[in-house]
Amino acid sequence: MPSRFAESRSRISDLTLDEAFQTAKKLFEDLSFGYATDWKSEQQNRRIVGFLPIYVPREILHALDMLPVGLFGAGDKIPVVRGDAYFQSYICHLPRTVIEMALNDSLKDFDAFLFPAICDVIRNLSGIFQLTYKDKLVRFLDFPQNFQSAVGGVFYRHELERLAADLGALNGKSLSTDALNHSIGLYNQNRALLKDLSNFRSSYPHKLSAADHYLILRAGQVMTVEHHNAYVERILELLPSVEAIEADKIRVVVSGSFCEQPPLGLIRTVENAGCYIVDDDFQLGLKWTEGDIPDKTEDPVGALVNAYLNNSTFSSAVYDGDNPKEISLERQVREHRADGVIFCAPSFCDPALLDRPILEKAMERKHIRHIGFQYHENLGQFHVVKEQAGTFADMIKLWD
Amino acid sequence: MTNETFHTLGIDVGSSYIKLALVRYGEPHQVIEVINEKIRKRNPTHVIDRLVDELLERHRLRYEDIMYVASTGEGELVSRKRGHFYSMTTHARGAWHFHPQIRAVVDLGALFNRVISLDSGARVSNYTMTGQCASGTGQFLENISRYLGLTLEEVGPLSLQSKNPAVTSGICAVLAETDVINMVSQGIPTPDIIKGIHLSIARRIVRLMRKIKIESPVALTGGMAQDIGLTEAMREMLAEADMKLEVFAATQPEAAGAIGAAIWGGYRHCKLLEAAA
Repeated sequence: MPSRFAESRSRISDLTLDEAFQTAKKLFEDLSFGYATDWKSEQQNRRIVGFLPIYVPREILHALDMLPVGLFGAGDKIPVVRGDAYFQSYICHLPRTVIEMALNDSLKDFDAFLFPAICDVIRNLSGIFQLTYKDKLVRFLDFPQNFQSAVGGVFYRHELERLAADLGALNGKSLSTDALNHSIGLYNQNRALLKDLSNFRSSYPHKLSAADHYLILRAGQVMTVEHHNAYVERILELLPSVEAIEADKIRVVVSGSFCEQPPLGLIRTVENAGCYIVDDDFQLGLKWTEGDIPDKTEDPVGALVNAYLNNSTFSSAVYDGDNPKEISLERQVREHRADGVIFCAPSFCDPALLDRPILEKAMERKHIRHIGFQYHENLGQFHVVKEQAGTFADMIKLWD
Repeated sequence: MTNETFHTLGIDVGSSYIKLALVRYGEPHQVIEVINEKIRKRNPTHVIDRLVDELLERHRLRYEDIMYVASTGEGELVSRKRGHFYSMTTHARGAWHFHPQIRAVVDLGALFNRVISLDSGARVSNYTMTGQCASGTGQFLENISRYLGLTLEEVGPLSLQSKNPAVTSGICAVLAETDVINMVSQGIPTPDIIKGIHLSIARRIVRLMRKIKIESPVALTGGMAQDIGLTEAMREMLAEADMKLEVFAATQPEAAGAIGAAIWGGYRHCKLLEAAA
């Protein structure tokens, strides 16, 4: 009997745009991760590895015949019953739904979980998972804070090699140079395709809504990279023929939503209120590395290490004193011809909210308009957001 | 800015009514026609499409002849448009068009009330609005008038006849509606019931007006601004609160949002032309 999601992998070339969006929506709504469990059931050595935002080196997982699956909480799709018992009220919402999913067996087919070092909440969540899943590999993945190759580079290589060895023990595989080079090549292709998609969206925001763009990206957090590459390629073929009239809206960059994800309704509300989102950090992990990573090298682990040290994008979860984030944000605004910035962060998100005053001041120095608000993943009322985004758009359109 | 005149259209989608304003943009801007249609239980998008088609036909215009179609209110329900402006921006501009001396607008809508402070150029400088409670809104007043068997047009003049206003709950629409049923059964004259309701609504609006700094004169917009009984009750409540503000109903108050959207649309059209030149 064909698996539930096998069809979506087999007939990419016939997909219409509507079908493509429907595929992404189904994956987004499926909290039982049917796609991943189907994929795993097709071959004995396959393993599923869940990871929390923002970034993990998925190339290593792919090279070990594992499916990296991004865990971004459950939005408003499940009630939090037991999750609240693990975190205080002044902690963000994401870990509550992740815990809830763990406790209701949504993640039972997962073989390992990775918790990248982005904040104390994710660190604590990794501890809770270690206690909850004693039979699975649970790893807090530390990243270098020192970007010199002799210091941070040595540390990170050690982290990656240890990770590869521990993951490999789950299915008896070891990391080979050829396999890792091949995986790096596939992810290079993925980032290039997503950049093309992002450029299309920035140039023709009326032809691809921010919500649909988001869902296409989000599909990349559960699909195999081969599938996602073919899927995005097909969408890029279809998009130019979309007929739509560009509305008179302002162009904004949304910043601060890199971990707990805003509800789709919020993304739609911002756009309906008169703001085309021409760039954002919703799915930052997919475009973490800027440019290609060498994929024909004798030392592919070294290539991943160098890429992290030298070609990472910017984020509030990373301190890089030599590359101030405000300069990167200003460049992002300029490159996308944005009229302003919407600082849109989850409530109680320490990294995003601590950076916000610095970024706001920098935008003011450069006379870049900005507004800010907070959300949580299960937010259901968007009236205030609509009002703020709407007045922001009016202000820029009429009085700037 | 261009010296030419051209047509613009504003579409204000409220929770009860759809308002359209066809404007000839150019100094001075001329409001050619205003439409105010109750949605009832119909699909708002279909109603809007039909109203636009009929309006254009009446004026022998094609859609392409309208340089800027601007929505306001629930703009996502408007299928054909060039841009959207937010309600307070458009209500302020719509009222200012007829009364350039105003420095504040109170928009009395079906579900929300807004107090908007504006500068001498109709630019919004501050605002505040009601939360989600229904008491004190147009929908509430419409329900009450229905219970009393009155049309909305009858409510204002009746209120002015009151000699001994009844006291109602100023807190909750549900309680106020129960109050009205009790008053009817007690034989309280209808003008006194209506006046009591008006004073209750006015008290809530005046409380909202205290939240931000506003200056006189103040124009009332929205459907409820047509109710002369409510305007009078607001004056009484302002006097009671010792707030020296002149309030009056704007010209075509129910269409202020649509008129404002059409005018801002024209302004924006010129701005885009300038930027492209």
